[in-house]
Amino acid sequence: MPRQQEDDPGAAPGLAGLGRYAGAATLILASLADSTKHGYALTKDIESFAGVRVAPGTLYEALARLQARGLIEAVESQDRRRPYRLTAVGAAALRAHLDAQRRVADVGLRRLASGWGTA
Amino acid sequence: MNPPDAATRRAERLLRWYPKVWRSRYGDEFTELLISEISERPRSWARTLDVARGGIVARLTRAGLCGFAADPAAQVRASLVSLGCCLAVFLPFGAAMWSQLTIGWQWSAPGTTATGIAMVVMSAAMLAFLVLALLAAVPVIWSVLPPIARGPSADLIAPSVLFLAGVLALFIGGRHFGNGWPGTGGHPWAHRALVPGGLAAFSWASTMSVSAYWAHPSALAAFPAAEIAWMAVSPLAVASAVTGAAKAVRRADLSPGVLRFEIRLASAACAVMAVFLAGCCLWVVDGGAGQANLFHAGTIDLLAIAVLTIALAVARQAANEARRGGLRLTVR
Repeated sequence: MPRQQEDDPGAAPGLAGLGRYAGAATLILASLADSTKHGYALTKDIESFAGVRVAPGTLYEALARLQARGLIEAVESQDRRRPYRLTAVGAAALRAHLDAQRRVADVGLRRLASGWGTA
Repeated sequence: MNPPDAATRRAERLLRWYPKVWRSRYGDEFTELLISEISERPRSWARTLDVARGGIVARLTRAGLCGFAADPAAQVRASLVSLGCCLAVFLPFGAAMWSQLTIGWQWSAPGTTATGIAMVVMSAAMLAFLVLALLAAVPVIWSVLPPIARGPSADLIAPSVLFLAGVLALFIGGRHFGNGWPGTGGHPWAHRALVPGGLAAFSWASTMSVSAYWAHPSALAAFPAAEIAWMAVSPLAVASAVTGAAKAVRRADLSPGVLRFEIRLASAACAVMAVFLAGCCLWVVDGGAGQANLFHAGTIDLLAIAVLTIALAVARQAANEARRGGLRLTVR
């Protein structure tokens, strides 16, 4: 299977190039979709809606990568806990990623229903 | 003990895994996150391991060995510097093995075809390294000189002085101890060997620090004090030259064209390293049969091959990362 490269200059600035951080990146972007949040608020919010606790090191690796790609940006703050917000590019990337995930989910659920019946 | 203070101290200890540049950007907010996490869950090995891993990844990213930097030029420069550091480890170990063989050939040709071929391969690779080094240096010097000429710029002068001091020390020491060695010092252009005797002696003298004698202190103590001092100082000279070159490359305003040229040279350098390593392996596997054990491969050579292999693996990673950064340079 061809691997989506981080170095493809022609590729849209999506989430595929984030490799092993794509999962954490999706959760972070989804969390930031409604409001700005700092690191700890992100951790708690993700835990509440996804049931996953993103560890601090992983969270900040993903934040740094998302910021380097322009998908999120830091918000100026007097507080030591700097908040982050989604950019327009990040919103488009998240929407495209979730649409693709939804298509996969729709197909999987439809086939499950036809082969195994409804629960 | 006050719990919040303990949490702060532990958070600050964990933060030390990260490089200084990362700490200056994310340090405050990351510490706040860690304090909140520690207050909520005081003990967590998983968290400690995650932070340690994140710190190592941040350091490797800073070194241009993985990750994704916002500035592609900075990523390329960092990767090129890392590749240069790999070469700074590879070349002394490689040159030490190569000079041992070439000096042996001053006295007698190798006893087997395989060792002869290995020496030709290694010598050709050494020549290629020299050509690549010159090609790599010219555009960097071309970029560094004009800012220095326009006015005193400590950003570039200090690294340049450091680099020149290291190179000068290596050259003077290598010449001094090479000429003092009776095996080749007397006939700089030997008539029967693969490479000139003076060059072989210089290479041997410059890499005297790569020696099995470090493991035999009593034998080492019988060496002249000046030689022991040189064995200790020459790695520092290499370190000085490499540090100076690395700082100059990081600070110089290298154009995208120059960076792309250096990326191509980096890939070529990796290929030459692989060829040289193949020659070394051929020699060691062959066993180096020959007159008076002149080409005998010892434990130090096996150790050197392990070092060369690790240096090559890291250099390839650096070259790949430089190439990735270079692709982003192209589209900007």
